[in-house]
Amino acid sequence: MLRKAVLQTFRQGLAQSFFKRNAVSLSETTVTHQPIETSNEAGERSVSTQKTSDDSGNTVVVAPPEFRFMYPEFLPDPAMETRNRLKEKLERMDMLQRRSVIEIPEFYTGSIMAVTVADANSPNKFAKFVGICIQRGGSGLRAWFILRNVVDKQGVEILYEMYCPLIQKIEVLRLERRLDESLLYLRDALPEYSTFSFDMEPERRLNNSVVPINPLKVKLRPRPWLERWERQNLQGVEDLKLPQVFYDRAAKVAKPWEKYDLMLHYRKTIPAEEQEKIFAEVHSQLQQQELKRKLRRRRGPDSEQ
Amino acid sequence: MSTLGLLRTLFNPKIVTPNATQLQSLNRSPFLVGLFFNHEQIRTMSRVKRRTTHPPYWHVLKNVQREDEKISSDNLRFVREVIQDKYKNKSPIKGSDLDIAKTEWDPKTKRSGVIARNIGMYHMWQKDGTKVICTVLHVLDNHVIRYVPPEEYAKSIIGAKVFKNRKPLGCLVVGAEATNPDKFTRQYCSLFSEVGLLPKKRLARFIVTPNAALPPCTPLTAGHFVIGQGVDVYGKTIDYGFQGVVKRWGFKGGPASHGATKFHRRGGTIGTGRDKARVWPGQKMPGHMGSERRFCRGLKIVRINMKYNVIYVKGTVPGPTNSIVQIFDTLLPRRKFTEAPPHPTYFPPEDGTLPQEDIWDSSLHVFGSPSISV
Repeated sequence: MLRKAVLQTFRQGLAQSFFKRNAVSLSETTVTHQPIETSNEAGERSVSTQKTSDDSGNTVVVAPPEFRFMYPEFLPDPAMETRNRLKEKLERMDMLQRRSVIEIPEFYTGSIMAVTVADANSPNKFAKFVGICIQRGGSGLRAWFILRNVVDKQGVEILYEMYCPLIQKIEVLRLERRLDESLLYLRDALPEYSTFSFDMEPERRLNNSVVPINPLKVKLRPRPWLERWERQNLQGVEDLKLPQVFYDRAAKVAKPWEKYDLMLHYRKTIPAEEQEKIFAEVHSQLQQQELKRKLRRRRGPDSEQ
Repeated sequence: MSTLGLLRTLFNPKIVTPNATQLQSLNRSPFLVGLFFNHEQIRTMSRVKRRTTHPPYWHVLKNVQREDEKISSDNLRFVREVIQDKYKNKSPIKGSDLDIAKTEWDPKTKRSGVIARNIGMYHMWQKDGTKVICTVLHVLDNHVIRYVPPEEYAKSIIGAKVFKNRKPLGCLVVGAEATNPDKFTRQYCSLFSEVGLLPKKRLARFIVTPNAALPPCTPLTAGHFVIGQGVDVYGKTIDYGFQGVVKRWGFKGGPASHGATKFHRRGGTIGTGRDKARVWPGQKMPGHMGSERRFCRGLKIVRINMKYNVIYVKGTVPGPTNSIVQIFDTLLPRRKFTEAPPHPTYFPPEDGTLPQEDIWDSSLHVFGSPSISV
């Protein structure tokens, strides 16, 4: 009974986070975006990591529902033709192995990150790049993210594969979210919105359990643009101030019924029951790795062997 | 000799048997081509009959043809008990108990192959940081069903064709994916009940030299292969269905604009009108594409997981994800074995020690090891 209650809260949490996440597409009025609660120190939250007992008396670990956003690459590609449980399991094991060596922190589109990569062509064999994460994707070992920065007035974007062993360090300098899931419009925005200093220090957050949403509205350069931003329902962009013709054409091409298409959304996501299983499998190991890192940080580099 | 006769001998397209994977190369002397032909085609592969929808006539009927009978739950339970009793007593013998003749391996030995399922693609990295795309092959529960000695196999229809002017070799029939006998006919189940195995969904024949023969019920696992060896993978390619000429044969089609009227992805001309004045057999046209048996040769094994019976092979394999393939030791002369592999197959050590669970090739970067620094 207890397990059922916990699972219900998990699923409710999932549903709520689903709606929160897709609040933009479901309703046209402005929604007060509640920052999604996450936990860097997952073990500290009392509600999340509950070990409940099954009907038979075995302990069942239930991972917190926020894992879906913190570790989205653990969820496989929803396309059913290419899915295989054994391969996904093996892939997860390898991902955890890699995570035991390097800390791959929680980050979102809009976070500012610094990545150090082994580079044979660099003078000191390591290349560091700082940038804002404009997009992330892929599942499993193929997970990637794109960092953007403007260097010497030249916009630079680098795609990093999260599990590539050449990556020495991934550091999140500023953990925050933006109003959109993809910030590709920064390519057509004024350069100041994509410029970040390479000497930027990691910022300490006051409230560790909540990831803030930056409600910044970006100013775009005058047209021509790389994409038709007026057709993409962007929240993080200032009023485009285009002639009405553009909006009329956008309305003709728009698919307003898609937000009601539940089967479309279902096919694009992994069902809740599977997500539970996946994260339950992965949760204990991630927790252990997190604890080890905390201990190492507390002890300091001197006591490290 | 007349010019036409000369042409006939030089440009005669040969009908190629389905087993061949190489194209017959026509004489393409530029002098002759320029002189007599406006456009030329390789007509050989398009003439080949590539697939049949029916199995060979000597196959026994496999799947049960009757509709779902309305059996009461008691009778259903009874049927299940009968099946359990039947297969419980005749359990397949473990590898170490079988009396396998200790045969020597020599470079001319042909070992058995293995039936596996392609479960997906994987990204791994080498020690210098280069990415390697691998295919994951899950070795199913393979068991040897029977061994057909060379003399007997040479008398069979396929055996006679294969060994027409050659010294005959033996044939191992291997099955994979044990299933509920309810789904299959009695004749099909009888193939397995003699050796005491649950009927297998999939059967395959592997040509072996007599010194690599295995007794029935021998299990074949991922340990049959060695890290770094080359394998040939045989499977059925992705089924694309009825496809047009651009996708199927790589035609260029027509211009997308500039006034092209209804000619964007069509074939264009199908004959000259002069020579022979008809459409040649084997003219490339739209039709069914894919679902053909192909080999991918010389793929290197980079990782073996003994616990889950999984092989990681560098490169791609014919067929979609979750399709069945057959894996053999490679034919390619430069990638063959120099040292003896597990011969005739791998058996777990008799003292009960477990083998190393995850074996990696020396060139690969193991995920648990520190990051690469160049």
